[in-house]
Amino acid sequence: MMFKSTLSGLAGRPRAFDGVLEQAGRIILGKDHEIRLAIACLLANGHLLIEDLPGMGKTTLAHTLARLLGLHFSRIQFTSDLLPADITGVSIFERDKSEFRFLPGPVFAQLVLADEINRATPKTQSALLEAMEEGQVTAEGQTRMLPTPFFVIATQNPAHQIGTFPLPESQLDRFLMRLELGYPDRAAERALLAAGGQRRRVEELTPLLAPDELPALQLEASNIHAAGPLIDYVQALVEATRQNPAFQHGLSPRAGLALLAAARAWAWLAGRDMVLPDDVQAVLPAVARHRLRSAQGGGYALAEDIAALIRSVAIP
Amino acid sequence: MSTPAREALDRHATPWLFATALATTAPHFMHQPPWLSAVAGALLLWAVWLWWKDQRLPGRWILIPLVGAGSAGILFEFHTLFGRDAGVAMLVMFMNMKLLELKSQRDATVVVTLGYFLLLTHYLYSQSIPTGLWLLATMWLVTATLIRLHGGPSSRPRDTLRHAGLLCLQAIPFMLVLFLLFPRISGPLWGLPSDAFTGKTGLSDSMSPGSIAQLVQNGDIAFRVRFDGALPPRQKLYWRGPVMEQFDGTTWHQYKGRQPAAQLESLSPPIGYESTLEAHNQRWLLALDAPVALPPEAALSGTLTAINSKPVHERQRFRLTSSLDYRFNPSEDPLVLRRNLALPANRNPQSRALAAQWRAANAPEAIIAKALALFAADFTYTLQPPLLGVHGIDDFLFQTKRGFCEHYAAAFVVLMRGAGIPARVVGGYQGGEFNPLDGYLVVRQSDAHAWAEVWLDGQGWRRVDPTAAVSPNRIETGIADALAFGEPLPMLIQIRADWIRTLRYRWEAINNAWNQSVLGYDPQRQREFLARLGLPDADWRSLTIALGSACGLLVAGLMGWALYKQPQRDPVVRLWHQALRHLARRKVDCAPWETPLDLARRVREQRPELAEAFQRVVDAYLVARYGNTDKHLKTLRDAVARLRQ
Amino acid sequence: MGIVATLKQKLFRWQSDGTAPLRLGQRRIFIVPSRGGLLYALALIVMLIGAINYNLALGHALVFLLAGLGVVGMIHTFRNLHGLIVTPGRSGPVFAGETAHFELMLDNDRPTPRLGLELEAESGNPVFATVNRKKSSKLNIPVSSKSRGWLTLPRVRLSTRYPLGLYTAWAYLQPAMRCLVYPQPIAAPLPDSSPTPLGGERSGDGGQEDFAGFRDRQPADSPRHVAWKASARNAGEGPLLIKQFAGGAQVELMLDWQLTDAALSDETRIGILTGWVLAADAADAHYGLRLPGIDIPTGSGERHRQLCLEALALCQP
Repeated sequence: MMFKSTLSGLAGRPRAFDGVLEQAGRIILGKDHEIRLAIACLLANGHLLIEDLPGMGKTTLAHTLARLLGLHFSRIQFTSDLLPADITGVSIFERDKSEFRFLPGPVFAQLVLADEINRATPKTQSALLEAMEEGQVTAEGQTRMLPTPFFVIATQNPAHQIGTFPLPESQLDRFLMRLELGYPDRAAERALLAAGGQRRRVEELTPLLAPDELPALQLEASNIHAAGPLIDYVQALVEATRQNPAFQHGLSPRAGLALLAAARAWAWLAGRDMVLPDDVQAVLPAVARHRLRSAQGGGYALAEDIAALIRSVAIP
Repeated sequence: MSTPAREALDRHATPWLFATALATTAPHFMHQPPWLSAVAGALLLWAVWLWWKDQRLPGRWILIPLVGAGSAGILFEFHTLFGRDAGVAMLVMFMNMKLLELKSQRDATVVVTLGYFLLLTHYLYSQSIPTGLWLLATMWLVTATLIRLHGGPSSRPRDTLRHAGLLCLQAIPFMLVLFLLFPRISGPLWGLPSDAFTGKTGLSDSMSPGSIAQLVQNGDIAFRVRFDGALPPRQKLYWRGPVMEQFDGTTWHQYKGRQPAAQLESLSPPIGYESTLEAHNQRWLLALDAPVALPPEAALSGTLTAINSKPVHERQRFRLTSSLDYRFNPSEDPLVLRRNLALPANRNPQSRALAAQWRAANAPEAIIAKALALFAADFTYTLQPPLLGVHGIDDFLFQTKRGFCEHYAAAFVVLMRGAGIPARVVGGYQGGEFNPLDGYLVVRQSDAHAWAEVWLDGQGWRRVDPTAAVSPNRIETGIADALAFGEPLPMLIQIRADWIRTLRYRWEAINNAWNQSVLGYDPQRQREFLARLGLPDADWRSLTIALGSACGLLVAGLMGWALYKQPQRDPVVRLWHQALRHLARRKVDCAPWETPLDLARRVREQRPELAEAFQRVVDAYLVARYGNTDKHLKTLRDAVARLRQ
Repeated sequence: MGIVATLKQKLFRWQSDGTAPLRLGQRRIFIVPSRGGLLYALALIVMLIGAINYNLALGHALVFLLAGLGVVGMIHTFRNLHGLIVTPGRSGPVFAGETAHFELMLDNDRPTPRLGLELEAESGNPVFATVNRKKSSKLNIPVSSKSRGWLTLPRVRLSTRYPLGLYTAWAYLQPAMRCLVYPQPIAAPLPDSSPTPLGGERSGDGGQEDFAGFRDRQPADSPRHVAWKASARNAGEGPLLIKQFAGGAQVELMLDWQLTDAALSDETRIGILTGWVLAADAADAHYGLRLPGIDIPTGSGERHRQLCLEALALCQP
């Protein structure tokens, strides 16, 4: 899917995120579209799953976004011996006060990077996923609210590596989008080599948003107008996945809502006050692929099947 | 026997077939032998009963004897299995028998095809407007049955009937075009069976007391006439039919032998007219007395009757010319005169005595006057005369004194012959009813009449109508006025209320128009019609071309209807489609999944000269269709207009 | 292939990739008179001759009206297919020899129903359908599967004779649909779990784990596993007992290509393996599958079974 800027002189609006996009683009070279999707995902108040081989810049991307958006960031490296309490936190007994004190785990941050989530056991995975779903953590009988905004960017190595526990389908649905970064193109890779890695430059970034600014922008993005014909289009696409023989099953109604939310955020990023079919088409692969199962082989839906799906639905 | 699923007949389709069978055979019950109707009805009821109880249909060992018995019955009744009546009877019986054999879709198709075929057979008996309408309704039903057979159980009766109606309505233009332009051949193609023309009423070639009185009670139309000029006076409208010269004491007959050719001298200007004769299965044409010019296929007989080369088996138009005043055979063959003086020797002695008494004392003119005066004195004109004995004329003249035109004509001729004046009876019609709505003079069977003709030396044959002496009204205003109330005349002509008469005139005018232009549409009318269309001397080739192009146009229209899609209601989308069509003409096609922005990008690459204008259209369209306001229609309209410049 | 068949193939070549919904356009629809139509035409000719012979003006009109009805019927038959939208659906896997069902969706966006539709992929096995006004209907087209592997949906003939049955209109559809056909299972006793090369993973009666007690012998248990001493204590009063061991909860099986008789044909061996997979699944066992070039680690459950059967269906020994 091509990146689509506003071609037309449609109603412009202050582009709060232009700086974010531009700065992130300078860190993650040649991945403007993915960066934009990632930001749209956060704007739509959804969690993000980045799936790729090690060393493709997944962590850097997460880190960069946290810095630029001024979010409190924490990182959890998932391993096979990680326990749920290592994420949510533990209560320890304080002798001097003779009482238990809760030590919040790394999940109590605005942006949590769950690195290599498929290395942990399903039990540990589900602890995080529950936190994502509920926006709160229940530990030792007490429920504690997570900060807002609360994002999880999970990274995952492709499932065919040994010793991993791939996320079950039901859990995948909790991620609004799933991205693959892929190899950088030639020019980007050369620039990367010349600069000697980007990680240290992340530290130099300064936040572009105040901590309380993001929720307001999210609200704005969620209010972008989606006209009747556009809703029809989203519905037709979702319906088509249920028919299409390339997939084992179709998208759920929740996935339809996710698609519309993502398209709204995408439209907002483009500086428009209405959603266009272009926006839906742009976010569809990231929103739909991990929610669908290919009829062949049983993995994620193939990118070309999604493209064919788009071609099979007329724009109303 | 197991039939594959697609061929098995759906149980709920069967009532449609029953309705088809009933509707297509029922009208035949009116004219076929009652036992046949009973058998057909019983077969239908049996089939319905079996269907209702969901029982097995009878096997071949029942059906084959049934067919045999039915055929034998028809053979016994009609003495043939072919021909009109027997053929129709066979079809009716076969139709109802087929209902006992409804197993597969194919059987049902046979029933429907047979139904269509049976529709045609009704026209052998009547082609009137009501028949046409009834058959149109029946055709609708049969077509609905056909649709139901192929639509399967999920079709609702209302939808089925509506669809059938639509099909029939759409077929009507084809019917009109084919009816007008299909090259007509005048039939018959081969000899018709002998029973093809039974049941036609009209004058016969003989006359006995009561025969005309019986005919008069029939309100059917005998013929219609349209005069080129004004309508001649009513009392001169004598339509000449058979001339009867031979009398056996009771019945008058035509002379079958050779007659010398008539010598006719016209004394008044000829009157041209066109007569549309209903079928009467006789050869005479009932021309206005006396015909001076005849159509080529007809000839004038020695007794001044226009005789056609063939019996008139169907409604036919003739162009005729007549003179109201004429001189006919002033010098007559003595043989003819002798024939017209003959009387049966042992009959009617009283009459003959009276005539002989007149003959001794008077000249012919005075004898005629005496006879007419006798009738005028105390005779009654009635349709219901008392029965007469062996000496019929004597009984009539001296006892009953009540009679109808044939009594007067016969008695007059007997008196004349007895008095030595050659005389004969002429049958025909007198008068007619002028329909002011379409200008046709309608002559009915109730206008049937008989009058006398006497031969006077130097004058030739002269018409004398003794009825006029008894009842002048009969000649001047018509039979309805001449008879007392309560005489068994047809209701139609007896009722004299103005509004009913107007209604009747209208109905008859419609019927006449129907007869003239629909039923009478023959090769000649077709030529006239084509000449009016600008195709004079149309041969079959130009007819075929005209027919082909008209049908082609109709098919094209129907195809347009079939391919027609509802126009876009949303003006925004309509404008957008206009813009897309404009692009398509410039070889830029838009795939249905392509977004407007993608398309704009492609236009920029493929048609840079259009890019700017199209971009404006896209912007306006996106705002109008996907935006939050609905006030951008005008911007879009302007943008599209500019693109199309 | 005869000339007619070749010509037919050329005439009716499909030109779409078959994945998208297809709206039947006029070029795709063919129409010829049916047998009923020929009978009708014959009846019309006879009726026309009759009308001419008896000089029936209304007879002419009737024949012409019926002829018009025939023409109109043709257009209506055509219209019954025209504009119909065909969308390919999905199809579930079947075992060889069973009938595969391919799902197709027919959409009617017209305000009148479309009746009397007939879809046929294999001759003699038609599916009948009606699509109501502005509605869609889902159909399953049966195709009998013969051998394992992918079964592609053959050309589907969508035809109709509605409304009058005087014409047959048809269109050929070739949606790109395929259905996985699993091999036909051959019932065979499950292999003994002991001689698998991965013996270390064995459990149950293996003996490495702790002794957990006895249980009653089931008829299926091999006599080798009977705890004779313990059973002897009951002196034949109770049923025979089987030693149970804790640790490995279930039997783990490795269904290996090598375990089947090499003398049999490849297809038979695959059939036997399929039978084993089904049997192992029915017994709720943990099982794996090893085929030449494919190695599926042990597992259980619906998805695992599917994975194994898929591998068997597509395996090229």
